[in-house]
Amino acid sequence: MRRFFIALLGLALLALYTFSAPVASAQTRVPRINFKERTLPNGMRVISAEDHSSPTVSINVWYHVGSKDDPEGRSGFAHLFEHIMFKSTRNMKSEMMDRLTEDVGGQNNAFTADDVTVYWEIIPSNYLETLLWAEADRLAGLNVNNENFLSERDVVKEEFRQSYMAPPYGKLNLLIDQKSFTTHPYRRPGIGNIDELNAASLENVRAFHETYYRPDNATLVVVGDFDQKQLDAWVDKYMARIPKPATPLPRVNVKEPERTKEARYTEYGPNVPLPAVAITYLAPSAASDDAFALTVADAILSGGTSSRLYQSLVYQKQLAQSANSFVDLREDLGLVQLRAILASGKKPDEAEAALLAEIKRLQSEPVSAAELEKAKNHLVADRLREIETNNGKAAAIGNAAVILGDANRVNTDLDRLQKISASDIQRVMRKYFSDTNRVVIYYLPESMRGGK
Amino acid sequence: MVAMKTTLQRIAVVVLFLVATTPLIAIAQQETPPAPAAPRSTTLPKPVERTLKNGLRVIVIERTVDHGGMPLISAQLLVKNGGEVDPPEMAGLANMTAALLTKGTQTRTAPQIAEAIEALGGSINSGGRWDSSVAGVGVISSKTPQAMEILADVVRNPSFKDEEIERLRQQTLDQLRVAMRSPGQLARFVASRVVFGDTPYGHLLTGTPESISRIKRDDIVRLHTTYYRPDNAILIIGGDIKADDAFKLAERLFGDWNNPATPLPAFKASGAELLSKIKPRVLVIDKPDAGQAAVILTRPALQRTDPDYFRALVTNSVLSGFSGRLNQEIRIKRGLSYGAASIMEVRRDVGPFTATAQTKNETGAEVAGLLMSELARLSSEPVADVELTPRKAVLIGGFGRSLETTGGLVSQVGALALYGLSLSEINNYINNVQGVSASDVQKFAGSRLGSKDASIVIVGDASKFLDKLRQQFPNVEVIRAADLDLNSANLRRAGSTEAGNQAVKP
Repeated sequence: MRRFFIALLGLALLALYTFSAPVASAQTRVPRINFKERTLPNGMRVISAEDHSSPTVSINVWYHVGSKDDPEGRSGFAHLFEHIMFKSTRNMKSEMMDRLTEDVGGQNNAFTADDVTVYWEIIPSNYLETLLWAEADRLAGLNVNNENFLSERDVVKEEFRQSYMAPPYGKLNLLIDQKSFTTHPYRRPGIGNIDELNAASLENVRAFHETYYRPDNATLVVVGDFDQKQLDAWVDKYMARIPKPATPLPRVNVKEPERTKEARYTEYGPNVPLPAVAITYLAPSAASDDAFALTVADAILSGGTSSRLYQSLVYQKQLAQSANSFVDLREDLGLVQLRAILASGKKPDEAEAALLAEIKRLQSEPVSAAELEKAKNHLVADRLREIETNNGKAAAIGNAAVILGDANRVNTDLDRLQKISASDIQRVMRKYFSDTNRVVIYYLPESMRGGK
Repeated sequence: MVAMKTTLQRIAVVVLFLVATTPLIAIAQQETPPAPAAPRSTTLPKPVERTLKNGLRVIVIERTVDHGGMPLISAQLLVKNGGEVDPPEMAGLANMTAALLTKGTQTRTAPQIAEAIEALGGSINSGGRWDSSVAGVGVISSKTPQAMEILADVVRNPSFKDEEIERLRQQTLDQLRVAMRSPGQLARFVASRVVFGDTPYGHLLTGTPESISRIKRDDIVRLHTTYYRPDNAILIIGGDIKADDAFKLAERLFGDWNNPATPLPAFKASGAELLSKIKPRVLVIDKPDAGQAAVILTRPALQRTDPDYFRALVTNSVLSGFSGRLNQEIRIKRGLSYGAASIMEVRRDVGPFTATAQTKNETGAEVAGLLMSELARLSSEPVADVELTPRKAVLIGGFGRSLETTGGLVSQVGALALYGLSLSEINNYINNVQGVSASDVQKFAGSRLGSKDASIVIVGDASKFLDKLRQQFPNVEVIRAADLDLNSANLRRAGSTEAGNQAVKP
């Protein structure tokens, strides 16, 4: 993520970016997003949804390139590159994006995930043409000098320290991917590491832009206060003129082998107050049919304080200060994760046993109709909050189009999720949460090294 | 759990308040950006309100599905006191009291409360802040009456069971253990003590391990009886609900809530005078295992009701935000941090101004110097209009975005109501910001935000930056993390000695 303001008063609201499919509840009308989709002759996909409730527009540009595409020996590069996209381009000085957004009351940012890099702006709607020009300009070509590159690389190193070195459980977030995948590039954390960031060069920037930043690898999403005809004309004027390269687009096609036996790791951190336990299972792609039942199971495990993990580990047994599950499904495959940070005086194996007991329970007993309904209501409400804003709608559309491969899923997934039954949940729990598909990580205070 | 690559900053979108002048920088290159079209106008929400016979103020902000809203409501019950009324030896009492509201009532256990609200697709939260305690619900609008009934129950009938008090005490202690290990959080705890000393905003809102251990059920019940009363509370409901329906619901659920016979404790602002007696400090908390240094500049600023409020906001905006001066100098020009920002926290009494950045330990002193010099520059030279105009646009746009979700709307209206300000200030916000001039900023910075009254706090590995820091600030105090005592205004554990040069040499 390009910018992060220290949360003095919760200024930055961070939310997990995961697959979170919505559901239509019997009582609640979830408004459908009416969008138009077309593909330009140069291959750029354009999706737009008019909404005139406020005089603002949100623009998302989804590039189908992410951390899994980091060049060999350049872990963290896709994310570093995302930062560089705010420096000088053919027609813009460094930070001009901020002049065109922040300076007129708008906002911009970007994030890099495993599979995608997404740039977004929220602007007064009279600036739409200006920003379409600007997004087209940085897609057409960068013009970065070495001084800019080196200072931004230092910023990313500080981001690494702030997000992963300073916080007590930062390193655990890196360990999850490093220990969960053996072969697929998902094993390399997207933030990279200091050595490989230091090795990155301006030449790498040029090559990466040429390889991946091309119209046939981009999806433009526009949501808000615009006129469809006018938007189409501007897109034709600024985006359609960017040529499509003749070279093929490289794609990661590495297959992660199935796990055949449980793997266990114990790691230590210098600044860890209380032990943590993480358990991961390999899971299917975000676009797979099983994603729906896994999402409902996730809500049953850790959606709210009446959820099973909170009630069991935090409330009843008081083994943990937090206990959560995550459906971390990505384009090629994913993880389902369980994590607990222990309460003081408790042992990691107690927390592990309690987490696994909740898995076993979901495998052996069907959930009640009431609990199933509660999980679905929880997901509906989350979905409604997610699409309360133009930018939320644009993000949901982009995710459906690029990660799930079909923009229509922004609307149709609601119905699929609604149909999930208790036996569907039992089936996916048995299929993915097997003993041989498990990786267990204990993350402990340095003072516990040597079995203390 | 925030892995960078799997996070998305969930933001609210601009409801736009257009800035009429639209500065586009001139660029002497091949192609210039197309100019903006004419700005479009917008309508702002209009809160309506009634006061019940018992004194409870009820405020409703309609944003129904028919008018572009989502089928959601948010509601907050604000009690007009929080951590500032904690007795000195019982830091964390108001927060604990508020947090316990949702942990059991006369008729519902904690798991029953969670189960009931979550079955409705809703959530409930409660906690203490400075100047207020809040319980809030968010729910799908078709379930509003059921959710509001639970909200009323937790505010009016909490049971404060011993078992729940103990559970919360243990959880709070563990959360503090985690927070104290984070340089950024620890620096903020220390900064409060440095500015406010022993005055009511000086302690930790969550309490310290020592103060949390001292709190008894009687203390909690006493605080609840004293402050949780309809003539000291405000109910705000926003979203997909008609105002008439909301008022009827409020009357039914809160109309028979009675005030105790005792009068409310009176409030008298005394911060300005008390804080003037506290000397600024340059304080290092030496934490050799810190992965980064957290640097804070802080000083007393002003009350929410101060006539200089909008001058303060605009002044802060010159410093803060992505393109504000702090981030320009520290991140964009020098690559010293992922982000530098400042905040003007206004409260019922004088609140703090705080500027902050995290950097590698080696550059801790350099960042402290930059925070200080940027604060000083505000009063030594005027801000040019080409800089000031966009910084006002940032404020106006951000305010608009904060109103776009029902939750944000309720919070903004609540903040006005809490301090007795007119709710129409929402509609005057743009004019109030636009009315601040460059000379207002310079005068405000010179008279109310001088750098000589500012303190510096750095939490980090002192061996990496202390020598350089001493060159800029000869009066540096160093406290080893193990000797830190957040219960005392001087912050040093009794009997510990000054960590001098020798202690921190690598």
